Amino acid sequence: MSKQICLIFQKEFASFFRTRLAYFILGIYLFLSMFCTFYLGLYFDVINANLFSFFYFQVNILMLLIPALTMRLWADEYKTGNIELLLTQPLSYTAVVIGKFLSAWGLCLLLLICSAPLWLFTALNISTDNLNILTSYFGCFLISGSMCAVGCMVSAFNKSPIVAYLASVLLLTLIIIVDYNFVFNTFSFPGNLAIRFTQSLNFFYHQSTLLSGQIGVDNIIYYLSITVFALWLNRITIEYKRG
Amino acid sequence: MITVKKLGKNFGPLKALDNINFTIAAGEIVTLLGPNGAGKSTLMRLLSGYLEPTAGQIEIFGKTYTSNRRQILSQIGYVPENAPLYGEMTVFEFLKFMSAARNLSAKQIAPQISELSDQFELSEVLNQKCETLSKGFKRRVAIAGVLTSSPRILILDEPTEGLDPNQKYITRQFFKDYAKNNIVIISTHIMEEVTALSSRVILLNKGKLVKDTTAERLSELSPDNNLETAFRRITNKNK
Repeated sequence: MSKQICLIFQKEFASFFRTRLAYFILGIYLFLSMFCTFYLGLYFDVINANLFSFFYFQVNILMLLIPALTMRLWADEYKTGNIELLLTQPLSYTAVVIGKFLSAWGLCLLLLICSAPLWLFTALNISTDNLNILTSYFGCFLISGSMCAVGCMVSAFNKSPIVAYLASVLLLTLIIIVDYNFVFNTFSFPGNLAIRFTQSLNFFYHQSTLLSGQIGVDNIIYYLSITVFALWLNRITIEYKRG
Repeated sequence: MITVKKLGKNFGPLKALDNINFTIAAGEIVTLLGPNGAGKSTLMRLLSGYLEPTAGQIEIFGKTYTSNRRQILSQIGYVPENAPLYGEMTVFEFLKFMSAARNLSAKQIAPQISELSDQFELSEVLNQKCETLSKGFKRRVAIAGVLTSSPRILILDEPTEGLDPNQKYITRQFFKDYAKNNIVIISTHIMEEVTALSSRVILLNKGKLVKDTTAERLSELSPDNNLETAFRRITNKNK
């Protein structure tokens, strides 16, 4: 199984570079991150011991870029007819699903690593809270994993990569905005328990905790649950669409 | 040995295949013949495990897809109609990927690719991207891809489409040799290919198996002893 996952991972990861998508996404990611950090995040005006200016915008940036990574993973297979070739090889569906997901998540890791010079730059100028920054990076990585899994799942539903991109951005936006207070205000939930339960299901609630550098088991479980659930749906979709 | 029993496939209300029964033994080259929409590609997709039957069952060497999917797939090489390849890969990378997917060890991959590239005259395009290949080369690469693991069953949808006459000849000779110890199932519209290649013809029409015989016997069903006339007579009669 691990051999098969590795094979699919290598194929897809290399494909990001062969098609130059990886360079394009990396360029846009670095530009948007730096623009948001220095211009919108007022990097030089606030104390950035925990790189707050940088992490504050990460979810929004990743939400726009990750669907661009995942959009073609399954949609292209259907569009080109390669799905018949892939699914008639002696590979387990689970391995193919995980391999494709890991390739996108691996590229997210690369994006985050490429932003690390900002950490170095900050550390040279002020005293940074390195543990806090490291946990925030870990949080970003976890969040990007959930986003990749959702993106892969949406891609499996579509034949068109563009539709897959737009649908993924829409779905991720919906998952994230469920957190906003207006939901609680609009549908007045009965009692505190319901509010707390709904809050614990919120992307934004967990994201705020993670990106502030405080990591909890509930945050990890939350994002891993989204990831596993989306991958499970992805696998079911592949089998269902196969007929 | 392939055994197909009461096989049926529906796509919603459409009956693509209905009550198909046949057995294919090693050493046979079977041609699936039929007009457009007869169910040839659906039957190939079912045999290759891509689709699941709505009714009946397929046994391959005594095993079914439900319990032994990966084991069966390692014995089958299936090339779909449009001979799909990963366009961004070079031919070498594609063959390497297919070899690894078909469980070849790292040591076996290079000699196998070298042998297949000689067999299908791919040496000159090994470092070329698949998306830049001509239709004929694409088909040869796709066939070479599934042959990396020397499967015991070869299923090919219109395998010689896009090949020049020389390549058609070489490919047909290859299938004949390959079928000596294995099973080769092809689908084609080219009558010349049916007579040149097949030891047996399965004629489908409107999702039903209407004839399971040899090319010679099928030809005898027409007054002029011609396969094409026989094909037209049978398939038009059923319209």
